This record gives sequence, structure tokens and C-alpha cells, in this order.
Amino acid sequence: MFERGKVLGVLLLALAVMSACRGTAGVTTNVESQPVVATRVVTDDLGRAVTIPVKVTRVVSLAPNLTENIFAVGAGDRLVGVTTFCNFPEQAKEIAKIGDTMTPNMERIVALKPDIVFVSTASQIENFTKTLTDNGIAVYVTNLMGLNDVYGNLEQLGIIFDTNDKAIDLSYALQLRQLAVCKITKGCLGRDKDGPAPDAVHVFIQISKEPLFTVGKKSFLTQLIRDAGGLLVTENIETAYPKLSKETALALNPEAIILSDSEDNREPNDVFKNSPAVKNGRVFKVNADLLSRPGPRLVDALEQIARDLHPEKFK
Amino acid sequence: MAEPKAKIRSLSASLRLCGLLIVLLVITIVGAAMLGAERLPLFDLNEQQRSILFDIRLPRILLGACVGASLAVAGAGLQSLLRNPLAEPYLLGVSNGAALGTMLAFVFFERLEFSRPLMAFAGAGLATIAVYRMAKSRAGMNVERLVLSGVIVTTFLSSIIVMLTTLLDAAKLRSFTFWLLGDLSQATVNGVYISLGAVIIGTIILMSQARALNLMMVGERDAFDFGVEVGRVRMLVFGAASLVVGAAVAASGSVGYVGLIVPHLVRLSVGSDNRLVVPFSAIAGAIFVVFADTIARTAIAPRELPVGAITALIGAPMFIYLLRKN
Repeated sequence: MFERGKVLGVLLLALAVMSACRGTAGVTTNVESQPVVATRVVTDDLGRAVTIPVKVTRVVSLAPNLTENIFAVGAGDRLVGVTTFCNFPEQAKEIAKIGDTMTPNMERIVALKPDIVFVSTASQIENFTKTLTDNGIAVYVTNLMGLNDVYGNLEQLGIIFDTNDKAIDLSYALQLRQLAVCKITKGCLGRDKDGPAPDAVHVFIQISKEPLFTVGKKSFLTQLIRDAGGLLVTENIETAYPKLSKETALALNPEAIILSDSEDNREPNDVFKNSPAVKNGRVFKVNADLLSRPGPRLVDALEQIARDLHPEKFK
Repeated sequence: MAEPKAKIRSLSASLRLCGLLIVLLVITIVGAAMLGAERLPLFDLNEQQRSILFDIRLPRILLGACVGASLAVAGAGLQSLLRNPLAEPYLLGVSNGAALGTMLAFVFFERLEFSRPLMAFAGAGLATIAVYRMAKSRAGMNVERLVLSGVIVTTFLSSIIVMLTTLLDAAKLRSFTFWLLGDLSQATVNGVYISLGAVIIGTIILMSQARALNLMMVGERDAFDFGVEVGRVRMLVFGAASLVVGAAVAASGSVGYVGLIVPHLVRLSVGSDNRLVVPFSAIAGAIFVVFADTIARTAIAPRELPVGAITALIGAPMFIYLLRKN
């Protein structure tokens, strides 16, 4: 876990330094005789080579988790555009809105003249990558599938924004917090091959009450619940956010239910009224933003869920 | 009017068909009750299995039957009244009116369970009145004009629905887009009572007007000459259609193609006498939706598909086949 992030970070740093040198050496003269901008090349999560200025000053984020990550590495003041969903930290609300993640307003993005646009694979990138590239705007695609990817992303952002020290400190601090939780729950020991912790609590995550949506195999929450000393009862169901049969839900008998806290999801679905979770009062609410955004606050969610599932171990 | 002799023969054939349809409905419901995401034993169910069968599966199946019957009788009534084979709750804006009503109830009176069917009925009724008013000209009611008004009201209401789903927050939007595709997973015992009540009342009203509708199918002027109160029949049929469609949409969103395809199939087998078409459509519609929802529940279990997608998937090719055959 440490290794991957570190190696990746070092590699990227080396790459960045190399390309930075190359960028300054092989100057590109612009036809419109604008001041020459030194560039460097970074690689995004899809393995695309992205050419960016050596000094990145104006960026747009098309995903709330990326906005949080950019603020977290100390580059929030360089955000010139964010989505309407970007509500954290507080300062993000003051930044110009460019629409939402799925339907950003192209004209507004181009008008903001950003150096880079950060997108998540959750957005429909194919449609607008070309438009932005044609306008000389670099598109950096991220694909964050869990805490490990969050650490890697923070370190990458540190390189891009030249705030390495802060990014690496944060990444390590978060990793230490995750390890501390794992040490208590014994959840992370089971990573992939050994299965969940021996005393894992059987957890159901309810994303929406009616119709009943939950999380499945493809969701990063599957691993997060294991880390927290639980076992997702729906972890073998296909897709990330399946609509679940109520019959199956009733037969799952979860020992704990986690509600992704939103207006239409304040209580467990009626099918759970006889489940051990409801009978023993083990229904927990977790801020929906924390559960849906792979960013630094995912560690907050991990800590909260671990405490909820194993109060006796966290005294 | 048919010859007496032929009429008697067709009556016995119709009775036989009616019996066949009822048997088929029972078989479909029993079959659907035995299939589901969870496998249940035939006997000796434990408490949890009983709960799965009686609290979740059966209410959903019965609601599906009510919704299917509602949409099919509404389609049958409107097609006869307007002498247009394309007349259907969706085409005439009745469903969209109900959908908008349900949606407003959902936004403003979320806690009141009965607000949804009531607002849906109000929405369906208002949409019908709007269509009727727009279509009525000094020269009287013109069928083309009516269908055109229906299309206008439908698209207008659709755009309001799209606007509202965009303005609602993300969590509500998600459940709504699913609901708009037709979804029976929110079946409750109360919901079944409401839908059952609505479909019984609606079908009785439509059957009481069946003779008048038969005459009106020849032509409104001729019907008038036979002593049919055309205006009253029209209001009753519109009212009954609004009632059943309102209840169906409030319970399950937009389940398409039922009102179009089912009355057509029924007319192909029993002719166009509304005294037969209306009740037969009710039974056949129930069979169709229960069948489609069983696929929706089981095809990718434990996940689910929206039932509206299945009815459209079956309905559209079937409709094309019927069009080419005739």
C-alpha cells in the first residue's frame, strides 16, 4: 500500500523533472506570438500523456472529490471552476460553477482559460475531451477506486501543483489513520486472499430507500467495509450500485445497516424491520458525500464506520 | 348488428375464451408467485419465507395485475370513444398528467400515502379536460384534432416533468428516473387496495357505457340519433380512464404499451363489441403485466429491471407484427 503510492510518486516526480527540463530546453514558439510557456508531461490514470505548463495556475475540477483533493494538497486557490456538487470545503462554494459533473458547460470552461481540467471517469469524458484539447486545454482523467487510489491521486496532485511536501505529508497521515483502524479491526489483514476479519459484522449499505438501491461488487465501499471490520452482505452482486430485489434484501439478515444520509434515505426500508440490525438498533447514518467521494474524507468515513461496527474496540 | 344465430355462436365462443383467460390469469399469478429472486419451498415456509411471499411478492404480483387491467381497460375505452386505434392513455396525455400529479405529491406531500393516487387522478383528469377543451371547436369534436391536442399536452407535460427532475436534488432524481420507467417494486398492501378499488369502479363504468360506445364507434351523429347522450358518455369514459390510469401511474410509474397492445389483441380474437372488449382487456392486461414483471424480477436477480422496459420490449415488436399482418 505504501510502496505503490511511493513508487508511483517517485516515478512521476522523475518524469515531471525530466519533462520540465525538456520543456524549457525545447521551447515551442507560439504562432500568435504569446509568451512562450514551458511545459511538462504527466501521465493520468488512463495512461494518457498530458502536457501541462510547468507552473499550473488555473484549473477546473469536474468532480466534487477532485475539488476536495485539490484543496487538500493546498492548491484550492488555483481552482477557477468547479461543479454545482462541489460543496466542500466551504471555500469551494465561492468558486465559479461550470454545471454538474455529467453535463458541464463547455463554453464556460473554455472562457475560464484553465491550464488543466480534472475529470473523473464517472463523467462522460469522451464527449468533451476533444473539444477541450482543441482549445488548448489539457484534460487529466482520474479513476479513483478506493483509499489506495486516493493516496496516489493526492501525491500526483502534489506533483502537478508543485505542493509535494504538503501532499505527501497528507497522504502519509491518511495512510497512518487507515492503518490505525485496520490494526484494531484486523480488517485489512484479509485484503483479497484471506477474506474479512474473523469477527466481521455483516453490513448492508442502503443508498436509497425506495426504490431500494445498495452497493455491490464494483464499489470501493466493499473494501472500505472490510477495513472497518465488516463484511458487505451484497459484495458479490454485480455492478457498483444495483437496484436490489426486496426479497433478497429481506433474506440477507444484516447485523448492521449503514444509511447513506440523504433526504430520501433517513430510515431502513420496511423489508429490514425484522433484521438483526433493526432489532438491535444497529442502524447508522453516514454523510452521503463521505461515502460517494474518493477523497481525504473517505478516511473519516472509515473511522466512523469502524467505531459504529466495533464500539467495544474503540473505547 | 350481427345476425342472431351468429351472435349466439360467438357468445358461447366468447364465454369459452373468457374462461380460458381467467384460467390463464390464475396460472400466471400462481407461476409468478413461485418465481422470484429468492427460492421458496412449496410447503412449510418459515417466518422469513412467509414474509417474502406475503409481504413482498404477492402484493407486487397483485398490484401488477391491477395496473395491467387498468391500463388495458383505459386503452380499450379511449380507442372506442375516439374511434382511433392509436388512442391510448400515453398518447392522450392522461398518463403524463397522472405522472406529473404523482411527482408533485411526492415533492410536496411526501408523508401522505394517499396524496399520490389522489394527485395522480387530479393530474390525469386535468390533462384529459385540457385535451378535450383544446380539441373542441365550434364545429364540434374532431378526432384528428383530439389526437393532436393529446400529443401537444403529452409533450408539454413531459417537458415539465423533465424540468422538475432536473431541479430536484440528485437523490430524488435517481428514484424518479427509475419510477418514470415503470417500477412495481414499491408495492404495498394499501397500494393494492387502492388500485383494485379504482380498477373495479373504472371497469364497471366503462362496461356500463359499452353499448353506447358500440354505437358511437359507428359515428357520433348516428349514436346521437339512437338516443345516446354523447357528451355524457364521453365524460364518463374520460373520467373512468383518468381514475384507473391515475391509480396505476401513482402505483407504478409509466408502464407503456399495455393500453395499446392488449385491446388490439383482444379485438383480434373477439371482435369489436365493447361489452366483451372491456372485460377481456382487463384480464389480458393483468396477465401481460404480471408476466412482464416476473421477467423484470427474475431475469438478472438479485438485481431488478424496470417493468416498463419489459412491456415495451415485448409490446413494440408485437405491435409492428400486428401492423404488418393487418
